[in-house]
Amino acid sequence: MSDRIVQYSPSGRAGAIKGFLSKFLGYGGAQLGLLCLVFFIVLAAVPNILVGPLETAGTATGDFLAPPSGQHLLGTDEVGRDVLNMVVHGARISLTIALLATVISLILGTTIGMTAGYYGGRVDVWLMRLTDFFFVMPSFVLALVITPVVLEVMGRGREILGFRPSLFVILVVIGMTSWAFVARVVRSQTLSLKERTFIDRARVAGSSNFSIMVRHILPNLVPQIAANGALVVAGAIYVETSLSFLGLGDPLQPSWGTLLSLAQRAGAASAGAWWYLGAPGLCALTVSLSFVLIGNALDDTFNPRRRVIP
Amino acid sequence: MPDAADILRLESIKVHFPIQGGLFDRVLNRPAGAVRAVDGIDLNVRRGEIVALVGESGSGKTTVGRVITKLAQPTGGRLLFEGRDMTSVQGTSALRPYRHRVQMIFQDAYQALNPRHTVFDIVAEPLRSLRLVKNGTQLAERVSEALAAAGLNPPGDFVSRFPHELSGGQRQRVVIAGALAVRPELIVADEPVSMLDVSIRAQILQVLIDLRDKYNMALLFITHDLPLAWLIADRIAVLYLGRLVEIGSADEITFNPRHPYTIALRNATPQIGGNPCRAELPALQGEVPSAARVPKGCRFHPRCPLAFDRCRQEEPPTVEVGSRHMSACWLNER
Repeated sequence: MSDRIVQYSPSGRAGAIKGFLSKFLGYGGAQLGLLCLVFFIVLAAVPNILVGPLETAGTATGDFLAPPSGQHLLGTDEVGRDVLNMVVHGARISLTIALLATVISLILGTTIGMTAGYYGGRVDVWLMRLTDFFFVMPSFVLALVITPVVLEVMGRGREILGFRPSLFVILVVIGMTSWAFVARVVRSQTLSLKERTFIDRARVAGSSNFSIMVRHILPNLVPQIAANGALVVAGAIYVETSLSFLGLGDPLQPSWGTLLSLAQRAGAASAGAWWYLGAPGLCALTVSLSFVLIGNALDDTFNPRRRVIP
Repeated sequence: MPDAADILRLESIKVHFPIQGGLFDRVLNRPAGAVRAVDGIDLNVRRGEIVALVGESGSGKTTVGRVITKLAQPTGGRLLFEGRDMTSVQGTSALRPYRHRVQMIFQDAYQALNPRHTVFDIVAEPLRSLRLVKNGTQLAERVSEALAAAGLNPPGDFVSRFPHELSGGQRQRVVIAGALAVRPELIVADEPVSMLDVSIRAQILQVLIDLRDKYNMALLFITHDLPLAWLIADRIAVLYLGRLVEIGSADEITFNPRHPYTIALRNATPQIGGNPCRAELPALQGEVPSAARVPKGCRFHPRCPLAFDRCRQEEPPTVEVGSRHMSACWLNER
């Protein structure tokens, strides 16, 4: 008997992941997107090693609004800070906010969408009305309203989870306003999944609702969540940049949007300082674009047969 | 007839699905009606017995299976398991002891297996959910035992595969192994071979018969195929539009049917060589009527070649027409 006891090794899963990667990396867009992303993640990971600590007006070394040169590869700003230095440090803030906001959005969206779709009935109706509410809520207006309130309550100097209050507010606002889209996608997929026979089988096998959702429905939602998650990050970067550009960012932890805002206020456009506006703008554009490319490639990889689960 | 050896008893089980009326119906307060998928079924299954539930599509046979496995809630009647009323038992933990003893084999093995789970996870799921094993070794032991019993030998070749890497017959064996793993006392098999190639069918049927012989497991075999039912079952129950029209031993039902519907079903069976129709009755015309509009009187009368006035007015009672052979037809009174 004992020789019949099987050694169970989940090697099949490794094979499936390998197959997925080779297909995913077959798309040119995915390669380009990943390449850009890796580049910016390296920037965000070790800015101090690459360009030294973030320069302030006090530690600035360059001329005012000097064009790119050997010493300052991307020129300087109106108080003589190195634009390259600020852009590299901005990558960290921008990416962190965008990724954390996406995590909030995916967790909220998946939980709410899956619960609504799985339980149906009254739960579905109320959760989807809540989703509709957040779906139509404009993130700009919400952020504009919340930020001063939070700053008043918390005080400007304190940090929340390592973020200065204004950044934390942006983070939460983006998370709050982008989950509704995820919830809708997840709900519709859950509705079709829960009619599948393997859900009935799981029920006969004695699995609880929670275990059915986590072990049966969630793994089958991964393609949708991954593809939409990448698009949510792209959206989050865009919203973060816009909110910071409107002046909601934090000058002590400048993101790309904050830099654009500073450049605009310094009159970089009229002064012809294209490097000051161009560098952060191009960075935001590239990262946003690479997430869109990755999201589309994921979508294509799971499409058309794999999208509805093989 | 109540019997101490009964493992499962259905007492006038009804499953009616309400029809959502249109706006006009609601404004005019017209009753919306209901789909009477199962309309009062009495059935008993004894320990170690194979009972076949035969009927056309739309007769409610799958719904009966779903009631027994607690996937559907009956709107009337009682479901008794070993004399205990299980009708109103709900909830994952309350149902755990019942799930341990009643399992199901599903028709479509392609749909019944989660594409993202390995064979091991699939077979292990009931053992884990029902908390039947203490540790990983025991789990692996039970899983390989179930796979071997379902005819997947050697089990080690299959455990780490995904459903899409298996053939149709192998998938059905995995479904069977999943049901077996908990060593149930009753298995509801909903058309377990209808999606399989003819060459695989005999093997799967043999697996099911072996289980009964080895573990004294009862089996409710749901099928639309009368010869198949005769082949595997001890008793056959014939279902028409949510009601049992005839029930008796497999030989009685197959060779001495008393209800015109059973006779028509048997005559509709093609046979290799020879005259397929014994032409006792003309072939069955038309379709099963909608369960939302059940005909008055005997529900088979619109299609019955022998129907007479009484059939259109009154519903025939189920009467004993032989030893353990019941039939619901006014012709039995003549």
